[in-house]
Amino acid sequence: MSRMRLTQQEADPLGGITAAPLVAIGAALAFGFSIVLTIVHWSDVGRPLAAVIAIGLVGAAGVVAAVSTTPSRAPFASERLWLIVALAVAGAIAEYLSTIGANSSVYDDFGSIVVGTLILSVAPYCTWISLLLAGVISAAVLSFLVVGSASAIAVDVPIASLIALNSVAVLALAAAAAGYSAAVVDETLAWQREANRAALQRDAELRAGIARSVQQSRVSVLGREVLPFLAGVMTADRISVADADRARELAETLRHALKAGIESTWLDELAADLQPSGGVPIVIDDATGAADDLNDDQRSALTALLVWLGDGGRSAEIRVTFRTDPDRSGISIVAGHGSSPPTRRELDRFTAVARAVAMGAEATLAGENVKVELRHVAE
Amino acid sequence: MTLGLPGHLARDSLSRALAFGGHCAAWVCLGIAVFIGLMGATEEADPVGWTTAALSALLGGILVLVARFPTVTLTLVYLVAGTGTVLALTVIVMDPAYGLRSTDNVVLALPRIALILVGGAGSGSLVAITWGVLGWALGEAATFLGVALAGGVWTPNIAAATALAILILVRAFDGLGRRTDARRETGLHRASQHTRELAIRHDYELRATARLHDTALSHLVAIAAAGSGPVDERLRLGIREDLSLIVGRDWAIDHASSDAGERALRQPDVPAGLACAAPDAGAPTLETAFAAAANVGLEVRMSGDLAVLGVLGPGRAAALDAAVAQCLVNVARHAGVREAEVAIGLSGGEVTVAVMDSGVGFDEGEVPEDRIGLRTSIRARIEQEDGTVRVWSTKGVGTTVVMAVPEGGE
Repeated sequence: MSRMRLTQQEADPLGGITAAPLVAIGAALAFGFSIVLTIVHWSDVGRPLAAVIAIGLVGAAGVVAAVSTTPSRAPFASERLWLIVALAVAGAIAEYLSTIGANSSVYDDFGSIVVGTLILSVAPYCTWISLLLAGVISAAVLSFLVVGSASAIAVDVPIASLIALNSVAVLALAAAAAGYSAAVVDETLAWQREANRAALQRDAELRAGIARSVQQSRVSVLGREVLPFLAGVMTADRISVADADRARELAETLRHALKAGIESTWLDELAADLQPSGGVPIVIDDATGAADDLNDDQRSALTALLVWLGDGGRSAEIRVTFRTDPDRSGISIVAGHGSSPPTRRELDRFTAVARAVAMGAEATLAGENVKVELRHVAE
Repeated sequence: MTLGLPGHLARDSLSRALAFGGHCAAWVCLGIAVFIGLMGATEEADPVGWTTAALSALLGGILVLVARFPTVTLTLVYLVAGTGTVLALTVIVMDPAYGLRSTDNVVLALPRIALILVGGAGSGSLVAITWGVLGWALGEAATFLGVALAGGVWTPNIAAATALAILILVRAFDGLGRRTDARRETGLHRASQHTRELAIRHDYELRATARLHDTALSHLVAIAAAGSGPVDERLRLGIREDLSLIVGRDWAIDHASSDAGERALRQPDVPAGLACAAPDAGAPTLETAFAAAANVGLEVRMSGDLAVLGVLGPGRAAALDAAVAQCLVNVARHAGVREAEVAIGLSGGEVTVAVMDSGVGFDEGEVPEDRIGLRTSIRARIEQEDGTVRVWSTKGVGTTVVMAVPEGGE
């Protein structure tokens, strides 16, 4: 996907999650600006009700921004940006109405800085182009208000200069937001290209190493019973009845082991890998091998969640169930609480990552376990 | 693909992105300063408008250099030039003719904010905040000096102070946010590497499974079927060869010599019926397949040119060889006949091998679940090489298995 269509939240989900509190701070700051600047230019206010409505609209825009960027509501849709900008611009219009005909200076108007601050706050969740567009459109709307106020303004400057000065805050903050969004997406994509190139280079040696370890692991399984038996037959003169019976028994055991091996997926390998390191039993219930249908990013998200749940005493046991019924297909991860169970805030990090890789995700924290439901969603 | 930025890169990457965001805002401020200067010069015939526009444009140009080459020298040059610009603009705009009451005005805020958003050399929140505070302090000092030179009232510029406050807030949040180490805890980058490794491991497990099936299992079944009696020499040789494949030739030879001591391994009789001579040494062959057929006492009639295997990579040729071997073993075990036909050819960029018998035939749907030879040793193996397997079988008539793999491969 090109950087024009990508947001930081999509390219770097954890960066998006980490930025969520900053949105609340930005929203509070915008609300604070509206109150302080209204007090500063109170002498210009002719309609107090409009001034209060203006502050209320800025507060509403802030609430929408803070709520809609919480990890539990990820991903942030572009419509939310326009709702926030619309509310903030409506606040600026109400402010204009409150001082209409008596606005002696645009320097103490809050419209421009409030809209700009809110646009900057949501930068990690929007594409650079939409942020820039939001800034330019807001500046255009605010310009009409400046034209309306021009007659009352004390300083004598060309109207075009007045419009430019009034737009500085919103344009500068929107440019900062767009610049940040574009740069962080660029940085992330550059790293991903680099990482993928390195991963491809590493694959060859990884393959060699794994080939050896797989061979050794098979040999170790065989070594215990089958190899000495075959070696014995190879060097013996005769096959006894007991040998034939033992061969039948071993063949049957081996056949079942091989069948289980064929039907296993990467997730079974992961569970087998994690169990000895974390000591937490992980049960995979995936009768149809649906784990193989997950793409690389979805596998990474699921792996990160399971590794994290299985670590640090967060879980006593983990069960991963794949449902394939057409109505309720998805993955259910249930982890019984360990000595230090996870918190909702920590889990939100993983559900937001899952949502960033086109999976629906819901986490439920109950008295004795944690339940995370993942499902495919259309991209 | 890997998700997001890893922890060790996040600091520098986010720092650069934040600095670039600041530079964009600074360029907007300086661009508007240029615009206002030009408007004054052209609309109101105010000659200082040209000076304002030129100084702002110069500062914007130096900032481009800072953004491109964030060195300490260029940062200092920018700060010095910016301080000079603020001083000059203060002297210009504080002229009583413009009617500005104090230095807390939007015109002076423009270069002041651009000075704060220098970004500067180095990375990390503390460094960026230090450069920002330096820019703010130099700007404030320049306006103070400008007022002292030109007259007027000095008041701290609220817009510049607000810009500094936003910069400190964002940078401090970024710095403190990384300390919680959510990236390392979530381990996305590690998970991405882990899943990649698991996929490769699983692929190899599947190949190892196929090999295991072809070797150990078939021998165990042969031993069980043979019952008590002398060890068949073909079986003995087969075990020896396969053990050497699984654990290395040395192991099998060492084991044989240490365990059996002086008991030499006798070579089996070469079965009749291998109607095809091996091609040039070094080129891929169906050696494993013919050896397997010989081991199970199956006579193979061969048609086509084995040299076409030369278009395949060694790994792909070996996979095809092993799959053909399993087909022949299946014929010997299940078809109830002692002969099979193998046809090989090259067309449409694919090497095709057909294994045919006129045995009892079977229905693929009725093959028991635990019979894994066709699924693993033949189908999985060929599909791993991007090839296809088609099976035609009619009860009482016989079976034809056609395997096709594309040219090339590892």
